[in-house]
Amino acid sequence: MKTVCYLAHCLLNANAKVDEGARCAGVYSPVLALLRDHGCTIRQMPCPELAFGGTQRFWAVREQYDTPVYRAHCRRLAEPVAAQIRADLAAGARVIIVGIDGSPSMGVELTAASEEWGGRPDKPRDEDYPVTLGTGVFTETLLDQLSGVVLDVRTVGIGQDLFDYDEASELATLDAVLKNGSVSDAR
Amino acid sequence: MRGDGRSRRVVVVPDVVVNPPPGARDRLGELALGGWGVVALPPPGLPADISHPLVAAAVDQVVAFLDGGYQVALLPAADDPGMRRFVTALAASGRTVADLA
Repeated sequence: MKTVCYLAHCLLNANAKVDEGARCAGVYSPVLALLRDHGCTIRQMPCPELAFGGTQRFWAVREQYDTPVYRAHCRRLAEPVAAQIRADLAAGARVIIVGIDGSPSMGVELTAASEEWGGRPDKPRDEDYPVTLGTGVFTETLLDQLSGVVLDVRTVGIGQDLFDYDEASELATLDAVLKNGSVSDAR
Repeated sequence: MRGDGRSRRVVVVPDVVVNPPPGARDRLGELALGGWGVVALPPPGLPADISHPLVAAAVDQVVAFLDGGYQVALLPAADDPGMRRFVTALAASGRTVADLA
């Protein structure tokens, strides 16, 4: 069965990350190599934050992006992605969405959220970045648009935006999902 | 957070670079080794109501990179419909980018 992986934009282009948020210069090669090893078809999703906030934005929490205008922006970006995913499923492909855990937009299992946290000026340290269970705004929007087929789509988050990011563990999780297992197989 | 690891170099590529046919040259791997990030265009054959908004999103992102002072290049692919549409739409926004040397 053909496997189509829809990647968060920054996994192929770390230049879309916030200032000081990139874990590599450009393409995140470990994920690319893993997907290639599994013979996956790769699709790159748009980065919702880049065109909205530009390249000089700082890291933020979900509450800072959870506005009507940003949600409308996410819906506009997610619509063609959802249509493409539906077409892949209809063609018999297995679809996996690979997001970024810890991201306020692209988080899958973990996002950054706080009613109080406001960004860099007074909260400069990694340890303060308030990660919690939940999806990011774009991921939530995309999954909403996949109603009726969402249970046919696997989702997995690579924890690049987590302070305690463990590359080997994250790659093992993705590998387990690619092998048709579940995230819990690898955690 | 960490130091800024971004290369500030981005190349727009057709789908065939991200999903090369078996035995083809691995251009994406080469770009990765060179520190480039990529903006991948949609695959050929998609209906217009899917491909056009995806190309428009790619244009918006490239404009953000250009406005941020990043180096942006194109991997030439004159036979790729997504790339043709991208070049036209980018020009309509008043921007151009050079081919990757």
